[in-house]
Amino acid sequence: MEPAEAEFLAEKELVTIVPNFSLDRIHLIGGDLGPFNPGLPVEVPVWLAISLKQRQKCRLIPPEWMDVEKLEEIRDQERKEDTFTPMPSPYYMELTKLLLNYASDNIPKADEIRTLVKETWDTRIAKLRLSADSFVRQQEAHAKLDNLTLMEINTTGTFLTQALDHMYKLRTNLQPGESSQSQDF
Amino acid sequence: MSEAYFPVGPGLGPEENFLSLDDILMSQEKLPGRAESALPRLAFALGQGAGPGDSLPEGSKLEIPLWLAKGLHDSKRRIISVELPKVYKEAWRTVFSADANVVDLHKMGPYYYGFGSQLLNFDNTENPQIAQSILQASTFISRFRRIMDSSQNAYNEDTSALVARLDELERALFRAGQKGLNDFQCWEKGQASQITASSLAQNYGKRKFTEVDV
Repeated sequence: MEPAEAEFLAEKELVTIVPNFSLDRIHLIGGDLGPFNPGLPVEVPVWLAISLKQRQKCRLIPPEWMDVEKLEEIRDQERKEDTFTPMPSPYYMELTKLLLNYASDNIPKADEIRTLVKETWDTRIAKLRLSADSFVRQQEAHAKLDNLTLMEINTTGTFLTQALDHMYKLRTNLQPGESSQSQDF
Repeated sequence: MSEAYFPVGPGLGPEENFLSLDDILMSQEKLPGRAESALPRLAFALGQGAGPGDSLPEGSKLEIPLWLAKGLHDSKRRIISVELPKVYKEAWRTVFSADANVVDLHKMGPYYYGFGSQLLNFDNTENPQIAQSILQASTFISRFRRIMDSSQNAYNEDTSALVARLDELERALFRAGQKGLNDFQCWEKGQASQITASSLAQNYGKRKFTEVDV
């Protein structure tokens, strides 16, 4: 899976906007989106929020976890723990990128938020690499990692699965297999 | 991006994959051996002797490629016998167990792991167990960390210095790690949503019009 595909899946998450137009309830295949009244907050999926924002028809309200103190707490907790801490949203990386690119004027202290999220990401990736290395070094058969998000799995997944494939091939050399019978002449 | 051609990977353990280009190149690597019986008129074909009529006396030393060695090897050992190349012998094994990261595996035969797996086919090798533990425990596993770190951290730099000491299998892993990193960075910069011409289509314009006129 590519990062763009993970971003596409992330766009289904709901976010709050304040529209400046009015529209009755619309019925889409995925569900209904409530009546839009100017000045009243309403929850919509991110793909719609970005599209409306680009046409200047709404104002985005940042999700409650996208706040400097909250992110600092998360970052510090991530640094303290050896295992992965649960993230406020399974798509935190994609949402940060989308919201900060298209709606940075609606989000206070956007640059600091970007830095904090990047630091948290770096810590988690470093932990992932450390655990992959100890997994390979001790040749374990099974590992379980909680609280990983899709984007992290994508970035390191291809490399890790290929390396484990090679290890498996080298490990099958240990068993002296039945050699294929060639013709005797 | 989806590729135009899906390559066949190298084979599993002592078996080679017939269609894999990596395996074909790997089986061209030479192996030291000696002729167990006299080989009439084959001296020229095996690289020794002056003319097409010379025969190889019994006991002469040969360097034969792996595919030939595998075909001529027979449990009754009539034709040739092979011995381990020195890279897989005891002396190098202690080097690997000391520190595998400093060894230049590309120089030791660019297909160290694959060739080593194929050597286990010949049951006249001394200790297949030890040879195996080298492939896995000392070498691959201890070099894994170095490959992972270097492939995931070198963005937009010249990686030739990093790749120079890796053999082909490790280079493929390195490229996979780099690709993951590059895809992520390119997405973060926003280039993933830009439309670019496909690499196949870019070559269309390079044909000159004079060639088209028949």
